[in-house]
Amino acid sequence: MSLPPRRLIGDAALALLAAAPLAWACLGAGGPALLFLGRAAAVLGLALLLLAAMISARIPGLDLWFGGLTRLWRLHHLLGAASFLLLMAHPLLLSFAAARFSVSAASAVLFPGPSAWGVWAGWAALAAMAGFLAPTFSFFGAPEYQRWKSLHALSGAAIALGLAHALASGALLTGAAARAWWGSYGALALLAFAWRAFAARRFARKGYTVAAANAAGRGVVELTLRPDGRLLERRPGQFVYLTPLDTSLAAGRGEEHPYTLSSAPDEPVLRVVVKDLGDASRALQSVAVGSRALVEGPFGEFFPRGGAGAPELWIAGGVGLTPFLSRVRELGPSRPVDAHLVYCVQDETRAHFRAELEAAAARFPGFRLSMHYFAQEGPLTAAFLRTRCPDAARRAAFVCGPPALIAAARTELRRAGVPASRVHAEDFNWL
Amino acid sequence: MKRFLFAAFISFLASAATIGLLGRLAPEDRPGAAAARPVSAEELARHGSSGDCWLAVEGGVYDVTSYVSSHPAPERVLTDWCGKEATEAFRTKGAGRPHGEEARALLETFRVGALR
Repeated sequence: MSLPPRRLIGDAALALLAAAPLAWACLGAGGPALLFLGRAAAVLGLALLLLAAMISARIPGLDLWFGGLTRLWRLHHLLGAASFLLLMAHPLLLSFAAARFSVSAASAVLFPGPSAWGVWAGWAALAAMAGFLAPTFSFFGAPEYQRWKSLHALSGAAIALGLAHALASGALLTGAAARAWWGSYGALALLAFAWRAFAARRFARKGYTVAAANAAGRGVVELTLRPDGRLLERRPGQFVYLTPLDTSLAAGRGEEHPYTLSSAPDEPVLRVVVKDLGDASRALQSVAVGSRALVEGPFGEFFPRGGAGAPELWIAGGVGLTPFLSRVRELGPSRPVDAHLVYCVQDETRAHFRAELEAAAARFPGFRLSMHYFAQEGPLTAAFLRTRCPDAARRAAFVCGPPALIAAARTELRRAGVPASRVHAEDFNWL
Repeated sequence: MKRFLFAAFISFLASAATIGLLGRLAPEDRPGAAAARPVSAEELARHGSSGDCWLAVEGGVYDVTSYVSSHPAPERVLTDWCGKEATEAFRTKGAGRPHGEEARALLETFRVGALR
């Protein structure tokens, strides 16, 4: 499968921006290998940290250069992790480089006198980084969403301290070059932060009214949102950030959370399916009809623009049905489809929207539905896929659901003969 | 990845703490009483070769003989200053760029006295 060129350009630009300061700094650099590695780790690590900040700003349209917002989030996550590893290696390598002279030299590199404030700024930056990454990487258990978000604000302090350290103590990038590189990267990160903190609230979030709230089953509600102004342009599989403003909500008022659109793109309203997975989504089950909400988006690119280029096999786990529901709802004489949906749920009581799906399957010949009940049939298997969908191997597979289902589906799809390059999966665990 | 990062983080803390502790517990090469020993310009000048290289930086006198071969820049950049007052050279590296904090910390470990 050839990658979409737009994504290639985005990835190449990111790699170039990551490597550029180090490449510049390496011109004419020399010295003992450990010393050089220690300094290089710092330059690359700081560049990755600043890039992670830049791409996290959810700037409209930017995600499409990276294959959608979920993939951009994954890149952000990887950049953050790589940066943390490099910035931890940095002081240790410098210390090892000094260990040839004496033990106290190795120690003095890490813990110099109180006047070497640049080094202490570096320590403070690393401490802030550990503070905001610990919940992200569940060092001490999975955090609650809003607490995670507020701790992540420490990243601003980590960046400011890291930049101060680089300008005061940098040995590979120094003087005017350091100011130019770190100044421009820092300014871009700051702009991204400013967009997120101030401008996005004003320009990116649009006003909506909750026009209906239909219970689809126990703990699952479908909200209909009517726009104040123009409805946003959207495609099936995309998602929005929803901020409910209903004052009677028990939790989550004014908090934004991502939800995949379940409505067809040509509907005059937006619809989202909300499952009670936390305090905020539980409170939303009884949101007041007529209350206000803000919507930002859409984001994501689950279904490729221009089609999959092959008949499709859809595998949905629970509320992961949403992007496929949107596709089913746009079916019509002018929009034929050749798609087989395998809808995996625990048992019949959790088979939300089943009647609607069955009606669509009866009406549109290109659309077929197979229910898979974990309680009766156990885990999803290649044998099940081959029995229900004999031509599975020639289809492009789209999987949406919890991480465990996606992992299982990838394995079983491979066994059923679908090459990995034709499996598109999206879990929303990264948002 | 989560487990790996956590392991790396704990290893980092343990390594840094160990290095710091060793530095405190290794008195033999810590700059101590010698750091304040007065050194005259004549004595400094006697250590003026690459095989016996002292230099004066910001009032301190440093025996960098063991370091000469490890200096990142070509050897002569350093050995030209053996036996001399080298503050300006240390501050500017000859190209207007100052040494990093770790270089400063490293230099301190070579201290033999203070320029009289």
